[in-house]
Amino acid sequence: MKSRERLPLGSIAVYAFTAVFFALFFLLPIWETLGGAFRAPDGSITFVYIIEVFRNPIYLEGLWNSVLMAVFSTALTLAIALPLAFLTDRYLFPGKGLFSALILIPMILPPFVGAIGVKQILGQEGALNALLASLGLLDPATPIDWLGQSRLTGVVVMNALHLYPILYLNLVAALANVDPAMEEAAENLGCTGLRKFRKITLPLIMPGLFAGGTIVFIWAFTELGVPLMFDFQRVTSVQIFSGIKDIGGNPFPFALVAVMLVSTVLLYAASKLAFGRASHAMMAKATSQGGPRALSPLAGWLVTGFFALLTFVAVLPHIGVVLVAFSRDWYGTILPSGWTLDHFSAALGHDLTLPSIQNSLKYASLATLVDLVLGVAIAYVVTRTKLPGRQILDAMAMLPLAVPGLVLAFGYLAMTQPGKWFGFMNPAVDPLLILVIAYSVRRLPYVVRSAAAGFQQTSVTLEEAAHNLGCPPLRTLRKITIPLIAANLTAGALLAFSFAMLEVSDSLILAQKQQDFPITKAIYELYQLLGDGRFIASALGVWAMVFLAVTILGASLILGKKLGAIFRV
Amino acid sequence: MISITIENLVKKFGDNVALNGVSFRIEPGEIFFLLGPSGCGKTTLLRNIAGFYIPEAGRILFGDEDVTTLPPHKRNTGMMFQSYALWPHLTVAENVAFGLVERRVPRAEIQQRVTAALESVRMAAYASRKIAQLSGGQQQRVALARALVIRPRALLLDEPLSNLDAKLRLEMRTEIRRVCKEFGLTAIYVTHDQKEALSISDRMAILEGGHIAQIGDPQTVYRRPRSRVVADFIGETNFIEGTILDATTVETPLGVFRGVVADPDWTPRAGETATLSIRPEAWRIQESRPPENAAAGRIGESIYLGEVAQYQFLPAASAAPALKIFELNPDLARRPLDRELHATAAPDDVVILRQ
Repeated sequence: MKSRERLPLGSIAVYAFTAVFFALFFLLPIWETLGGAFRAPDGSITFVYIIEVFRNPIYLEGLWNSVLMAVFSTALTLAIALPLAFLTDRYLFPGKGLFSALILIPMILPPFVGAIGVKQILGQEGALNALLASLGLLDPATPIDWLGQSRLTGVVVMNALHLYPILYLNLVAALANVDPAMEEAAENLGCTGLRKFRKITLPLIMPGLFAGGTIVFIWAFTELGVPLMFDFQRVTSVQIFSGIKDIGGNPFPFALVAVMLVSTVLLYAASKLAFGRASHAMMAKATSQGGPRALSPLAGWLVTGFFALLTFVAVLPHIGVVLVAFSRDWYGTILPSGWTLDHFSAALGHDLTLPSIQNSLKYASLATLVDLVLGVAIAYVVTRTKLPGRQILDAMAMLPLAVPGLVLAFGYLAMTQPGKWFGFMNPAVDPLLILVIAYSVRRLPYVVRSAAAGFQQTSVTLEEAAHNLGCPPLRTLRKITIPLIAANLTAGALLAFSFAMLEVSDSLILAQKQQDFPITKAIYELYQLLGDGRFIASALGVWAMVFLAVTILGASLILGKKLGAIFRV
Repeated sequence: MISITIENLVKKFGDNVALNGVSFRIEPGEIFFLLGPSGCGKTTLLRNIAGFYIPEAGRILFGDEDVTTLPPHKRNTGMMFQSYALWPHLTVAENVAFGLVERRVPRAEIQQRVTAALESVRMAAYASRKIAQLSGGQQQRVALARALVIRPRALLLDEPLSNLDAKLRLEMRTEIRRVCKEFGLTAIYVTHDQKEALSISDRMAILEGGHIAQIGDPQTVYRRPRSRVVADFIGETNFIEGTILDATTVETPLGVFRGVVADPDWTPRAGETATLSIRPEAWRIQESRPPENAAAGRIGESIYLGEVAQYQFLPAASAAPALKIFELNPDLARRPLDRELHATAAPDDVVILRQ
């Protein structure tokens, strides 16, 4: 029988276009990196570079430090997020709504700017030692070195304070899915308290815990900005960053990136395999009306105090940055010893600043536009068509979450070297194209997620009604569907935009000429300046944070409670 | 006003055959109902006619035009969805105007036709409201206006009243019939509510498992069901198993009953097993023994509902099933529980069905 189905040509075109886009700007950079790591000068496959990475004590130390950085950051993140998530899920306490809304703030404050604040507070001549000394708990002559010689402590603290919201949101979602009857059954059989948590609740939320934990681990494992600001050189990400200066002749940065990529992909795959498919199918959701329990006033305020303290600690680095930006001098005292606005005018007056703001706005807006177009198209194909393989497209669009930004940034640099296909995009000449692509690929998952959620919440019959009244499919998308999911798209776009504005690895690696620097690289360069460097960098950081706070506030006003859903994986 | 012809329509979802060779013709200006239990294929058939599904085989004709593979937006049908599918980001007037804007109707005419359409469903006062500010019944009227204002070739209704409360449903179904007849529309109406179908349809098709079980006007379908499925689905009935004696008589545990055969494709032969279908309201209860078509027994339980009483009639013959009997304008004092009574049905009310 002849086929009578109408071919969904538009959807197939979208599918083909996104597939090609991903092949060129996701798979090719990874391929280029692997090529650099495994190809000998004569073109044959070789493993000597990889083996050398594991032989060279400096690289080995870097890898070891990266693992330590990831393990400690994840552990500290879990220690913060698990109690918070549990308290939120189970109890009512004063100010719960406020703290659930504030929980995202540490996530969006740029951590590598926060690092300046951490150094200011935890340094030997920092605010904490000054506070302890003034309380008589410390002899000012022998200050405690909180950050330690290795500088690992500061990096871990900053990472955890930055990343705990990711894990928190995943855990809250997982806890909400646990049928209260499962715990009631345990209690009924005599299993209560911590024992019940360990034997029943914890196994049930394992998938959510691992989903969030994996993201945190990978993020911390490949973090570049924070160790760079702490001058923590013996860590793989920084070693790669230092290595790109001679990318042409040196295979070892490639080998390091390859090792990093393979280990993260293996980790991601392992966690997907172990916990990907809902391993504990809940038979029926919420058979009993559990809901959060009210606490006695005292216990309630204790919980509120706990939340307030943690939130305060989480934003402390950035408070430190703000203080640095306003301080005339801050050395060995609890608070700055004098106040000034000079750094703000100095920051604005510096010839790095204004162009960098312009550049960032340009790169980020273009990337957001690309994300919106691609994100809506992909979400449409995934949710509204029955094209075979649309799940692959969906999974593909989510992959940038699993592949470290550092790896992609390095791959982009490698694939745009003179003589390659994309040599015309070489960032040393003009980074505009490749930076826009890099920003948009990294943030695409957020837009796809929010658009797909919008499509799923919008009944197909609303589109069918338009078709029925004579409106062709593409016009229906414009007149009916897009307006209906506008809130989701706005929120997704705002997030993509603000993350792009404060992106670190692509910006540091791909922007190579001062006139092309985005804000983040400008902050980094300003920080390197002797003398007033950290003050001026902080001032620019404060500008950036104010800007971010405004965008995120806008997004949360539009999306309300749904904002958290975007960070769940 | 057009006729709609369905020829040998086949629609599959994977291995599941939703429509298995359905054929019929809807006359111009007719209100035609598709009726059947859930999963029978009635909504699938409607969505094929609207163009949301393309059948694997068969044809759909609007008049003489083959529309089988025509995309939905080129069919010029007006559809009312079960959920109404009104767009929440547009006002009532914008929702109704949508189809006219798509048809590039001049603005002045749009204005005038939208007003007229809203007036005909008595919603003109709500033109600038948002959809969320309307009640269920009001939304239903707007959906009807939106479907009618484009002057569609056919009106397609997918369980349009299922989300309304009982009183409103009664009011709206006469409203829909009035509007259809006023505009002279060919209408196809999907429902599982038999009262809706019996009260406003010109003809109806009962679907069962992707087949058409019977097509006919309401009275024929109700009084002359061709199969057990149809008799069971439309209205309530008593099924009594028995054996054919000759073309019009069946021997049952209750006694011998004379009746009619409604299925033109079946000629009963003596000795064949058959089922009688006798509606509860077709029975009469009396104290004297009638000459034929009667069963002796007594009343087991009775439910008094005012205008009608529902009796459980327990036949004296031990192998016989209990009968459900309705009596209009009942007087329970005349129906003592312990007395022997006789239940009888006229031969014209007894339908002989193939086993």
